[in-house]
Amino acid sequence: MKLNRRTFLGTAAAASMSAPAVYAGGHGKPRVVVVGGGAGGATAARYIAKDSKGAIDVTLIEPTRTYYTCFFSNLYLGGFKDVEDIGHSYGNLAAAGVNVVHDWAVGVDRDAKTVSLAGGASVAYDKLILSPGIDFVDGAVQGWDLSSQNAMPHAYKAGSQTELLKAQLAAMPSGGTFALVAPPNPYRCPPGPYERISMVAHYLKNNNPTAKIIVADPKPKFSKMALFQEGWANHYDGMIDWIGSEFGGSNVSVNPDAMTVTIDGEETKVDVCNVIPAMKAGRIADMAGVTDGRWAPVNAADMSTKADPDVYVLGDASQQGDMPKSGFSANSQAKVCANAVRGALTGSKVFPAKFSNTCWSLISTNDGVKVGATYEATDEKIAKVDGFISKTGESADVRQATYEESEGWYSGITADMFG
Amino acid sequence: MMKHILMPLFSVCFLSAPLGAFGDDQDADDTDEFDVSEEILSIKGDPEYGEYLSGDCTGCHQVDGSYDGIPSITGWDEESFVWAMHSYKEKAREHPVMQMMAGRLSNDEIAALAAYFATLE
Repeated sequence: MKLNRRTFLGTAAAASMSAPAVYAGGHGKPRVVVVGGGAGGATAARYIAKDSKGAIDVTLIEPTRTYYTCFFSNLYLGGFKDVEDIGHSYGNLAAAGVNVVHDWAVGVDRDAKTVSLAGGASVAYDKLILSPGIDFVDGAVQGWDLSSQNAMPHAYKAGSQTELLKAQLAAMPSGGTFALVAPPNPYRCPPGPYERISMVAHYLKNNNPTAKIIVADPKPKFSKMALFQEGWANHYDGMIDWIGSEFGGSNVSVNPDAMTVTIDGEETKVDVCNVIPAMKAGRIADMAGVTDGRWAPVNAADMSTKADPDVYVLGDASQQGDMPKSGFSANSQAKVCANAVRGALTGSKVFPAKFSNTCWSLISTNDGVKVGATYEATDEKIAKVDGFISKTGESADVRQATYEESEGWYSGITADMFG
Repeated sequence: MMKHILMPLFSVCFLSAPLGAFGDDQDADDTDEFDVSEEILSIKGDPEYGEYLSGDCTGCHQVDGSYDGIPSITGWDEESFVWAMHSYKEKAREHPVMQMMAGRLSNDEIAALAAYFATLE
């Protein structure tokens, strides 16, 4: 169901009559509400609280007590990480002055400037920052919907789904088949499906070496393609069958009951099927009425939405221009947004927007690659300034150093997000 | 975690840039020859601007100085920081991420970052 703003406002009004509690500041301080405690939202909440030194009331609304990062979740699948390694609590944010509310945001009333919560309360804001990540497009993969996600996990929101996929991988029969249905552009973490294929192959090579991986891809090419294909040939020769759009990879359907995948008319019985459907902004962005199509268009200078100058959208859910949808991008955008929001509410100095992104991927043990770019704000979009990518044929030493650097980055970005 | 492990090494790093955590061919470095002008070194950085710009650093480098694979940049003296950033900016020192990040910073911005990071414990 798609709610338009008018129908939503009706719902919110009804909700607020039955549950009129409001977490308003009460101190006359400006109020920022952040929805979503991932790379964008946690960073924005932390920076605004830290830099405003108590001058702004910051509330973070996030349903989960432990946040599992999507980045590095593939390394858990490959056996390089435990699930605990990618889980983070919000205790440090709370200690740093962020009012952490574990609840679902279920509506936004942009006229009253309140966010309603599933628990019945409503939270008033002066500035609202939405960082809800992604949801999946209904009907994107024929035969698959959310009720199929236990038979055919997406594992593209990390946590229980990732653990489920790992358990299914471990339970594959000898010589079995692992299928992955890749998403169309744009989607969260462009190299993610291909790092996942690498990590699944790594696991299988060590535990089930006669198993096969088939990939149905609606795209003719993908992020770091030459690097991944070189790595697959080097480490997993003959194990991975990637079927791009030119070979029918976009013509795919699945049957979760029969555990079959049909690619361009050819049906295959599989043992595990990882379906990563087409994506859209997390639903609260749609409910707030700030999306246009699947994503929320934003102004590059401060990440405010085109629809409402007091509502900002960060990270995967935003439509901003050239930056990939990644945790690094969301973290970078959050800091630009935090500076602008603090300036608007307290008069602090607002500096020009600068953004950056780097994505590391692990292909096999000590075989890491990376791609990155810097960006600036133009009137039209976030525009790429400069970039780099790892080269094919790099030495083992360089690849190992790149992997070790990615470990450092993980520690760095999660400290920057969660304190 | 090895906190501040790089600090004692810094004078060595300064000369030869051997930070093994950076994923590049150190042989290609040419930092022995690299010099930064007095004019650049004398720029007084704005720490408030540096704090904002540091957001581009802290997505990777840990502000508390911890080292897990990416070197600490906290607590360096300003001149060393400026020298290191300019060695990346001028591509005398290898590392694609750092060359890119430093490459778009002005002399004033590098001075601002140095001023900010020098204030951190």
